[in-house]
Amino acid sequence: MPEDKKEIVGYRQQPGKLDFTRPGSGGSSPKSEKRDLEMIPQSQGGKMGQPWGPHRHDNLVTGRIIGKRTPLIDSRWKVTGQAVYGDDVRLPGEIIGRLVRSDRHYAKVLSIDMTDVESIPGVLATATGIDAPSAFGVLPVTKDEHAMALEKVRHIGDIVACVAAEDEETARLAAAAVRIEYQDLEPIFDMRDGLKDSPDPIHDRGRYHIGESNVQKRVFQRFGRISDIKNSIASYDNEWTFKGVNHGFTEPHAVVAHWDPRGRLTLYTPQQVPHYVHRALADVLDIPMHQINVHRTYVGGGFGGKSDPFPHEMCAAILARKSGRPVRITFDREEVFWTNRGRHPSRISMAIHADKEGRFSGIQTDALIDGGGFASFGHVTTYYNGVLHTAPYEIGAFHYTGARVWTNKPASGAMRGHGAVNSRCAVEVGIDHISEELGVDPIDLRLANLLPPHSATITGFRVTSIGMRECLERVRKESGWDKKFRRMPLGKGIGVGCGFFISGSGLPIHWDPNKFPHATVHLKIDMDGGVTIHTGAADIGQGSDTVVGQAVAEVLGLPMDMIRIRSKESDTSPVDLGSYSSRVTFMNANAAVSAAMEIRSELIEAASLITGVETSGLVLGDRRIFNKKDPAVGVSYLQALHKAQEDKGALVASGSYRTPPMGKMHKGAAAGLAPAYSFSAYVAEVDVDIETGRIKVEKVWAAHDCGKALNPLSVEGQIIGSCHMGLGQVISEEMQYGRTGNLLNPDLLGYKIPTVHEMPEVVPIIVESNDPEGPFGAKEAGEGPLLPILPAVCNAVYDAIGVRNNELPLTPDRLYRSIEKACRQRGIKDPRDLPNPSLELTSLSDKLIRRAKDHAKRDRERRLDPNPDAYYNGQLFNRHATGPPEENDPNWTVQVLPDQEYLENPKLAGSAWLHKERRHMEGAE
Amino acid sequence: MKTPAFEVHMPKTLDHALEIAKDLHEGGHDFDWISGGTDLIPNYKWGINPKSHVISMSGVSELEGISTTRIGAMVRLQDIVESSVAHPLIVEAAGTIASVMIRRSGTLGGNLCLDTRCFWLNQSETWRKSIDYCHKCDEGTGADCRVIPNQNELCVATYQGDLAPALMCLDAQIHLASHRGTRSMPLEDFFQEDGITRNVLETGEIVTHIQLPENSADFIGSYQKLRLREAWDFPEGGVAFSVGVSADGSVSTINMASTGFESIPRKHKELIESLDKGPNWALEAERLGAELKRAVRPVLNTWFPPAYRKKMASVLARRAMEETSKRVTSG
Repeated sequence: MPEDKKEIVGYRQQPGKLDFTRPGSGGSSPKSEKRDLEMIPQSQGGKMGQPWGPHRHDNLVTGRIIGKRTPLIDSRWKVTGQAVYGDDVRLPGEIIGRLVRSDRHYAKVLSIDMTDVESIPGVLATATGIDAPSAFGVLPVTKDEHAMALEKVRHIGDIVACVAAEDEETARLAAAAVRIEYQDLEPIFDMRDGLKDSPDPIHDRGRYHIGESNVQKRVFQRFGRISDIKNSIASYDNEWTFKGVNHGFTEPHAVVAHWDPRGRLTLYTPQQVPHYVHRALADVLDIPMHQINVHRTYVGGGFGGKSDPFPHEMCAAILARKSGRPVRITFDREEVFWTNRGRHPSRISMAIHADKEGRFSGIQTDALIDGGGFASFGHVTTYYNGVLHTAPYEIGAFHYTGARVWTNKPASGAMRGHGAVNSRCAVEVGIDHISEELGVDPIDLRLANLLPPHSATITGFRVTSIGMRECLERVRKESGWDKKFRRMPLGKGIGVGCGFFISGSGLPIHWDPNKFPHATVHLKIDMDGGVTIHTGAADIGQGSDTVVGQAVAEVLGLPMDMIRIRSKESDTSPVDLGSYSSRVTFMNANAAVSAAMEIRSELIEAASLITGVETSGLVLGDRRIFNKKDPAVGVSYLQALHKAQEDKGALVASGSYRTPPMGKMHKGAAAGLAPAYSFSAYVAEVDVDIETGRIKVEKVWAAHDCGKALNPLSVEGQIIGSCHMGLGQVISEEMQYGRTGNLLNPDLLGYKIPTVHEMPEVVPIIVESNDPEGPFGAKEAGEGPLLPILPAVCNAVYDAIGVRNNELPLTPDRLYRSIEKACRQRGIKDPRDLPNPSLELTSLSDKLIRRAKDHAKRDRERRLDPNPDAYYNGQLFNRHATGPPEENDPNWTVQVLPDQEYLENPKLAGSAWLHKERRHMEGAE
Repeated sequence: MKTPAFEVHMPKTLDHALEIAKDLHEGGHDFDWISGGTDLIPNYKWGINPKSHVISMSGVSELEGISTTRIGAMVRLQDIVESSVAHPLIVEAAGTIASVMIRRSGTLGGNLCLDTRCFWLNQSETWRKSIDYCHKCDEGTGADCRVIPNQNELCVATYQGDLAPALMCLDAQIHLASHRGTRSMPLEDFFQEDGITRNVLETGEIVTHIQLPENSADFIGSYQKLRLREAWDFPEGGVAFSVGVSADGSVSTINMASTGFESIPRKHKELIESLDKGPNWALEAERLGAELKRAVRPVLNTWFPPAYRKKMASVLARRAMEETSKRVTSG
């Protein structure tokens, strides 16, 4: 026996001699499946059609998982009740925290007396505002929140103090025993009052305070040639009122804070954005970030309502620190409404004009939004109410004034479709009205005014892929639009609405995008062959874990059961901006793809060493790496992996994503800037009970351009879910404030979320425009699909009964009021005698149809052209050739501050500009 | 939300239940009867007049049972909906209540004795404190009514049970029992203004069952309910209408009753009196609707504004009548 073959007794497991797993391909199926050419893009020699052209990720497609209906990887935990949500966390020795909330709308806190509390047996800790005086807030520019009130309470339900006790009963008893002395201040509830000077503004911004008012943020934007609007032949000009709505997620907020024996804090919380809580905790508790582990639990619905760092999270940490015990705080539903961050109650004045060519010569929007007691995301919301309706249509001029005011109500914030929903509804209803004035079909009008792929909007957003035209064409066909529109009997109607939304926010809030990436994903593969993905993206039920897993599985040719996600803890996850602004699929899946590409090269390298085939000739299939030309020559994934791991053990890789440089330089130019945008068009069919005003939405055809459906199952789920949520805002949901300023319905009986009976049949239609920068072409599908349902229903109601409305929700009593008004105006006694609206086409109609046809051809050419000419909004008006308007159009204006002329006759929100900032006042230093 | 602690008594017989009630009353203890608890427990959680003793009727079999003429107080609402013997009008009304899950717990007796509702009342303790409470649950403050201030006498909380108007239209008798004995009355006489008084029940007295006339099968009717959503929501207005059809097909009696408009449900005898009982009775639907609209007096304390609810009273009445007429014709 040669020397090196001698058996060494007692030392059998020599490295390299025994496999760590049985030889094979890995995964639960013993056999490698054949490459499915139907799933391989044409550009790679496969049979998958590419009507929108090839994509930069085509060569990474293994045909395994992308584009297949994939159940969410955490779904079994949820359906078997094993998912641990915020309130399911149980730690040894935990105690219960309870927040003491204000029963005043607006008051100075004079004193807080804990004497009675401390004598209650079982009370272990109490805290008040002075225990954590540092301010925090989701946006660094508007930190105006504290763990507990410092000097003032700003709405009923605002937190004044907190207590922790052995059990819930004692904690509640203790909270009730806190004696607080207040001095009432004059509250304001009407957002219009927020524009006025006040003796006690709700917050004090110091030198930057706007007059003595409650204006938190104001925006003025004027783009284009406003004078051209004078040439319009059809106009819509209306004042809208939108009530505030709440996310209505299933899981109320819940948090557990635990200081471990080493003195580190772990915070268990159902958060959309663990990283912002991480930062805020460090500020408020005055400890370094590395001493905090934010553990995101399963999230029972977020929709924007769990993306701020919250005072109750701070309170739990403070109580836990004081008591030395883990503290759990779980909200009652009422407390969810007091925390709110729902969609802003808004008063929006919307004017849209069209010229004789059927072009939108201008949009003028004025949006006053009611922020409630705190800033939250409001700074951004104020911009979004304007800038997010500068597409998908080409517009001649755009003028937006917006203002957000503080009032003594629970804070508004970000909610699915952030800032875009209300003004979008007004725009789309306006277009419906204009099409009627012009005597054209509203779908024809839209199709003749769309921006082409690879163009710039009027405010300079860079739009890449656009599937708007296809969305409109699909819903038109599938709904049988041409046979139904303006042809149904009284009470039955059909309507269309479109949407446009960001796919990720272009600028990270906390840092320079040129410095740090938007998203980072780490991969680790050890000898067992399973891939561990570390990502900070927060799965909030939308399926972010699944999509990141899919991206990696696709590139490496692995089944999903070999993918493991670690996304819950900040200790092990890379820093991530979390789940908001519909960024996760675009940014995290892109980061995951780039990390997987690194591993993929290492595997191919190893396979090349084993097989002798050149790396360029190797492709990945199902757990196998083989010669493209002779698939019989190849190695299993595990063989290649183990070869690659020689000398270094586990393979690790890190991938990241950052947005390309884009956008303009004017003030506010970054708001609304995104690496890609989603588009959608819905048609809704309704049945209106004209005698009661009750709307029954019968069916919705919902087309959404998500670029590429990485997981069609979850895209459809998002579309249907969005329809439900948007439907609530249009027919029933509102935060109802009574004459005393109290929220009358802080519970799920009074807050009317549509039930299964109200939910229509939704036909989800996925349009795939193959975004050049999205992972495998994907864009967002989480928020954009909400937008079109509101105007589609409003327009369908008009088609049904000929009555326009400008107040949401369109509850039966409101609709009935407009029906009565219409009857009075027409001298009709019985609403059943109201006339139906009819459509009489004018000669413009043919012109628009021809133009739409030309544009369709133009768009097809542009989307397939690898280097299309630049296209700037305004070319439809023949104003400028190919350069940006500010360089080519002498009459072009870009104005971000109001001039004297405007200030002499401002619109409602625009009147916020009548105030001077304190630093600009006379006598200011 | 945390339910305040209370002692539960679980009698097995009606007599025992009434005795417990008597003892508690004489011992100076406050108590509530509880059947399904779907109304009482949410109110307790909100701290609205919770009591330290609760007598559960779930073990008392005398209150069970459903037949064409008798329905026990403890019959679950969903059992009525699924019953093959209950009158179709009762089945229709019961089928509109809340949701299947709630109906599997809620009972006939509980629905009839439903506490009156008001958005100044059905709120948490902190919330009610923020408006310094209200007349119906003043926490010892002597607070005024928040709906109609400066009167401090009448509580205008709204009665929102669905079964009462349907049963009234079938001429139901309600049967009560206490340790003093039993009594019965037409259902319309059971309810008593205002929103605090609600009904004639005396302390220690309980609803045992409702009894329908032998000929109730000859009644044909319809119940129309106004609400925002087709599940969960209480009636913002409800109108039941029925006609008694004789063997020869002629109409002998006509009934109409409403709920959800005021502190008690009402049987509108005075409006029906003028109605022609001839073959053309249904032609007066429009007029009857207009009269009901004038008769009801809703206030601003439920989801829909009162002006709308009032207007809808006429639509509901007319539709209830038209639907009844259709059902009579189709046999």
